Amino acid sequence: MIANKTQKCLALGAGLLFVAVLSYGQKPALPEFNKLPDWSGVWQMMGGTVFDRATQTGQGGSTTHGVRIHPPYNAEWEAIYQKNLALRDHDRLPDVITNCGVPVGFPRIMNLPDVYEFVIRPEEFWILTENGPNVMRIYTDGRAVLAPEERWGTYTGDSAGHWEGDTLVFQTVALKGSRDGDSILDRTGAVLSDAAQATTRMRRINDTTIEAQMVIEDAKAFTKPWTVTKQFRRLPTGTRVYDYGCAENNRNPVDAATGRTLTLGPDGKPLEDKEKD
Amino acid sequence: MKSVYKVVLAVLAVAGFFFAVQPAVAHHSGAEFMDQVKEITGTIKEFQFKNPHTWIQVVVENPRGEKEEWSVEWGAPNSLARQGYRPSTFPAGAKVVMRIHPMRSGAPAGGFVAAKFPDGKTVGKWE
Repeated sequence: MIANKTQKCLALGAGLLFVAVLSYGQKPALPEFNKLPDWSGVWQMMGGTVFDRATQTGQGGSTTHGVRIHPPYNAEWEAIYQKNLALRDHDRLPDVITNCGVPVGFPRIMNLPDVYEFVIRPEEFWILTENGPNVMRIYTDGRAVLAPEERWGTYTGDSAGHWEGDTLVFQTVALKGSRDGDSILDRTGAVLSDAAQATTRMRRINDTTIEAQMVIEDAKAFTKPWTVTKQFRRLPTGTRVYDYGCAENNRNPVDAATGRTLTLGPDGKPLEDKEKD
Repeated sequence: MKSVYKVVLAVLAVAGFFFAVQPAVAHHSGAEFMDQVKEITGTIKEFQFKNPHTWIQVVVENPRGEKEEWSVEWGAPNSLARQGYRPSTFPAGAKVVMRIHPMRSGAPAGGFVAAKFPDGKTVGKWE
């Protein structure tokens, strides 16, 4: 009888050990592809490119005098924004993407004209924008974002997340923000610092709308977290996304000396230099 | 069947609205253009259907009787293509009357508003 019990205990222990050995070092199981939501198709951001329409004051678009948004800036960063607003009002705040060079980065990637595709795979989620074009990768394979000692600031940073039902929740860290003067949130001149990070929740709120709610924290620039919501409307089935070679025929480069956006004639020389009739 | 037709119309209307609100100048601010509308008459030299924005080159006779080339900036080719426009929309050699937002600098250029061909066909918001 005792021998029988001992044998059962040994068998149970061996079984547990076997399972433990098998699962050691394995990542959490990926969600099954056919159980993930369907965000296929082509999408377009709703509204203009003022980054946070909920806090917008002033009527018009991001380049209209008097229009601004209200990130929870501290005094130092409100002063930086005020300088950018003044440059904007004098047409001397070039959009960093006007020279067809650097990526727009995150979170501005959620604030672009033209169209979007949202590609869901079990291990990764991709945001593809026609404008730019820009790509953002969000790992959903169970990995965490880069540890603080492994980070360096980049335009889109490093993102990792998971699915909570039909909602994608992801964290973004390692952003460069406006550190190098080549990243803005919109053409009002709103910027983030290189301490910015965000938690984003994306979900399809109905057949034709995807919503992305970003809670942005910035230890250098903000007095409290800033919540910004962007929505994307599904375009008719069959809509195409086209090639976007930004430098193909860019007749609006920025004059590095003045910050002014130039208009080039067909000969490649600034039209502004031509005399008035 | 009627209800299906209504649904299709509603979808097209919504889609049309969102295409219509697509900014014409997405790549830069557009601050170089004036709000007023100027009309120019000439001949299409070239329609540059390229990124990031399309440009229509129009040869116009100026008040001194000289031929002058105007550069008219329009939207991104991709968004225009989704609205049905193509490189053939402005064929080289075609006569055209064009309405533009002229440049503040007075240079022979502007932002596209609308165009009308001799056969009455219009492009953009003519009325």
